[in-house]
Amino acid sequence: MAEPLMADSRRCRLTHFFLYDGSKVTGEGDPTRDGICYFYPEKTPIDQQELLCGQLAGVSRCVSELSSSPVRVLRLRHTKFAIRMEEDLFWALGCSVDFPTVSMSDFLDQLINLFCFYNGPVRQSYQENSREVLALCWSRYLFYLQAGSTELHYIFSCLHTIDSTHIDPLLLLKASLILQACQRCPLVLAGCILFRGKVVSSQMPPDLTVMVMAHETQTYNKDERPNEVSSRVPLSGAVTSTTVHLTLSQLQVLRSTNVDRESRSHSTPSKDSKLPRTRLSRTLSDTPSNDSNTDLEADAPLTPLRLDGLLSPEESAARPAASPPPSHASLRSPEISPFPNRKGPRSGADEEEDEDEKSYYYSFHGGGSDPGCRTPGQEGLAEGLGTSRGTSGNICGGAALPGVGDTNQTLVPMTLYQHRVNGLVLVLLVEPRLQEDADAMEEVYHSSLASLNGLEAHLRTVAPGPPGPQGPYLFAHYDCVQNTLITNVSGGGGRGPGGSFVRAAALLHSHFWNSEALQETIIRSATTAVYATRSVAQETYFLQHGGSVRNSGVPNHQDTAFSLPSKARHRLLKHGVSLL
Amino acid sequence: MSGKTSLLKVILLGDGGVGKSSLMNRYVTNKFDTHLFHTIGVEFLNKDLEVDGHMVTLQIWDTAGQERFRSLRTPFYRGSDCCLLTFSVDDSQSFLNMGNWKKEFIYYADVKEPEKFPFVVLGNKVDVTERQVSAEDARQWCQENGNHPYYETSAKDDTNVAAAFEEAVRRVLATEERTEHLIHTDTVNLQRRPRSTTSCCS
Repeated sequence: MAEPLMADSRRCRLTHFFLYDGSKVTGEGDPTRDGICYFYPEKTPIDQQELLCGQLAGVSRCVSELSSSPVRVLRLRHTKFAIRMEEDLFWALGCSVDFPTVSMSDFLDQLINLFCFYNGPVRQSYQENSREVLALCWSRYLFYLQAGSTELHYIFSCLHTIDSTHIDPLLLLKASLILQACQRCPLVLAGCILFRGKVVSSQMPPDLTVMVMAHETQTYNKDERPNEVSSRVPLSGAVTSTTVHLTLSQLQVLRSTNVDRESRSHSTPSKDSKLPRTRLSRTLSDTPSNDSNTDLEADAPLTPLRLDGLLSPEESAARPAASPPPSHASLRSPEISPFPNRKGPRSGADEEEDEDEKSYYYSFHGGGSDPGCRTPGQEGLAEGLGTSRGTSGNICGGAALPGVGDTNQTLVPMTLYQHRVNGLVLVLLVEPRLQEDADAMEEVYHSSLASLNGLEAHLRTVAPGPPGPQGPYLFAHYDCVQNTLITNVSGGGGRGPGGSFVRAAALLHSHFWNSEALQETIIRSATTAVYATRSVAQETYFLQHGGSVRNSGVPNHQDTAFSLPSKARHRLLKHGVSLL
Repeated sequence: MSGKTSLLKVILLGDGGVGKSSLMNRYVTNKFDTHLFHTIGVEFLNKDLEVDGHMVTLQIWDTAGQERFRSLRTPFYRGSDCCLLTFSVDDSQSFLNMGNWKKEFIYYADVKEPEKFPFVVLGNKVDVTERQVSAEDARQWCQENGNHPYYETSAKDDTNVAAAFEEAVRRVLATEERTEHLIHTDTVNLQRRPRSTTSCCS
């Protein structure tokens, strides 16, 4: 087999990406190039493209027919490929071998999902558009997914969040209140607020937030997609909307968690009388005590997501009030699991409770924090992680079928509403009929305009500030549920302790993914050691500078590596990371 | 002055819950929402209007009244052209606190000549029947504290809201004219700003 050339090894170490349509190459005489819909790097000679596409597609088909399960990964000597096969469509994404397989597969899933989100089903878009037009899309998405990322961001395929260390937590609260206010309009499904391309607050599951941000980045760059169905809303030039495509399961998540609809709209005061809670609008001060609150907080396996930790106590107490009392849970259809990867029905016992918690957690924890998945059992773990990423779960087994990104799944057109105030953007996923409803549109616009102006003024004045002194340690804390990363490793870090730390994190992240039972581990070289620990909801990596020379490699109770866990616990507390 | 749109920044100050956000929303969008969140930090809306032949863009800054938001709001006092001191006629404490609001504004906005700075006082919620502050008390306070104009408003009923904001504009324009009159024409007027400070790109 041809060993592909190591092309561009910077950043993600992405070497190749292509989409091959086998239905275009059926006869003996059909040239392979007819099936190549897109190939990256685009300058690759066509002979080489044909060689790689033909061979990888052939091998994958052969293996999947022999094993009767789709191929997910192909490993060559210097490169490995994440593979996706759907009917005659064949995607391959090549990376260097030291890049974690799980991250590589995530990357491919994200890429395909992005394409479908903005263009609809792949085959249909290739029927409606020329290859050149869609090639532009693929290259944009490739660029977007790689842009501005550090190595660690690649490894964890995580969202870019605003650096909250210099930001008053009240501003994050303000952002989430803006989103809540928008949701008073029943046509608004969920939203997120971005500032200069980073997430300030999001109500969407992380996989959706990633996709929504791609549009933000594009319009910010004044770079309109050619086939974009974009319409100017008469309200203001700052508002645009575009059509996007959601899978049924994604839509189900959004709709099922979009709770308490009636009480949010002004039209039904009767519901309010049933709920003796204060209105959403009084979140800050009028906080009814809510018994479920303590349970939820105590039970939560997650590190309280960043927002949580930052909210004022009053706010934390008030949030559960936004979810309906348990009696309402049964109104939602429990048989339709909002989790795309869930294969079987859940154990019925805590169904109701879970439904309730889900709805509550959803807006803050991004949909994946299901307490039912907390059991250290294999299924729970795989599902929990898979869900949180919104991608197909099991990579190594090769048996699990992709959920979210299934291109042959029905895709439902929805509308992406976007309101920009300089560097700040409010993005809402809305029902398409919002655009026809001028009153509702105006209400959404006016309910958020002043606050967006204010938030933008606040965030603009927050000096990003130099990254503080790094301290005698490096850490990375990955929240699997929200898909976010906190780290003190700066962007560059290819060499030195930063480099080894990143390499260690990549290695251990793969190990964690491959063996569910693995909870804590220390790996070390002659000069340094990295401690890593994980739960269902988080992974934490820690390196202490200036290790002692006594580390000889022979097990020794004085070995400083053994003090890493307690040091990590101690040091990371001030970053809001609790390892207890 | 005429023929050119100038941007005027007015700021609403007063205790939490007196109706600052409602006044702004009523004036700009002509809407009244009983379910508003507490304002966190600051918010603002722009409105174009014509007062006495002058085209102005009024930038109305709404602030958080609660003490705990003080550090978020105070940086935005600077550059205000007029301050609208707001209290609620059904809350005597909010009336008593007006002096503190005025002091806070003068301090953080770094007003050089407080006695010449235009303040307008708004007694909001006149739709409420149980008043705790009488119109006479309010007028007396305005008289004693710099002869500020006083307006009794209701954001809910849309009483006097536009009149109050237009008065603010008149006060600012009057102050500017006075300053222009005093200062020689070859000096640079730092008070007046072109409207380009907001919405530079959209």
